[in-house]
Amino acid sequence: MTPRDRALTFARRGTLLTGAMLVALAGVYVRALMFTPIERFQGPAQKIFYVHAPAAWSALLAFAVTGILSILYLWLRDRRLDVAAAASAEVGVAFSMVMLTTGPIWGKPIWGTWWTWDARLTSTLFIFLLFVGYMVLRGALTDPEVRARYSAVIGIMGLVLVPFIHFTVFLFRTLHPDPVLMKPEKPSLPGDMLLTLLVSFGVFTLLYVGFLTQRYALGLLRELRDEEMAHAVS
Amino acid sequence: MQYPDNGAFMVAAYVITAVVVVAYAVSLFVRLRNVK
Repeated sequence: MTPRDRALTFARRGTLLTGAMLVALAGVYVRALMFTPIERFQGPAQKIFYVHAPAAWSALLAFAVTGILSILYLWLRDRRLDVAAAASAEVGVAFSMVMLTTGPIWGKPIWGTWWTWDARLTSTLFIFLLFVGYMVLRGALTDPEVRARYSAVIGIMGLVLVPFIHFTVFLFRTLHPDPVLMKPEKPSLPGDMLLTLLVSFGVFTLLYVGFLTQRYALGLLRELRDEEMAHAVS
Repeated sequence: MQYPDNGAFMVAAYVITAVVVVAYAVSLFVRLRNVK
């Protein structure tokens, strides 16, 4: 199988998985909006949680994967690792946009304010801006080796931030609620709500995998095109 | 049972999530098609 065939296989599989997960996401909407009870004190706005928390999970997962692939790139110097790291960063930025818009929309009716500069919100905004900078840097550098090395350093800085963001709710006084799932005790949600949340987490995780596979294929195909053009010129 | 009247916030959040996710999916699809 040629590298181009391999990239096209990734593209096909990623597109199929993404398509299936978009349909599954519609199912999550139906379950969350029509078949999951309304929380008594927060009202319908509590249901924002079923998209906000899984989007935040996918974003931080994407940034963590970028960081791990960046470490592997600096160690092994395999360009495919750099392409995959860049793919994961872009997908993470997309999920961050969901996280950073749905969070304030929940905050306004529940906290009475769209935004507050506490540790969780500020660090989340910071990691988003860090990876926007990562993408801008990649767009500005033309030498592939320099681009891969510089962006790997930023990717690793992002990886360091991920556990910090998770623990901010324990380390600082913050308005943000504590984790519902990722904590030492049992999940603190009634069964129906917990099931909706778990299904949504599963769909968002697989949607991340679908997006990542597509974006990785796109990166590989661009590299092949650039190599072909370089050969044609020389 | 009486609930707080904040359904519009919920609708806004779900619409924005769908718009971002679908727009990114379409952007990936189009970019892949163009580079093939």
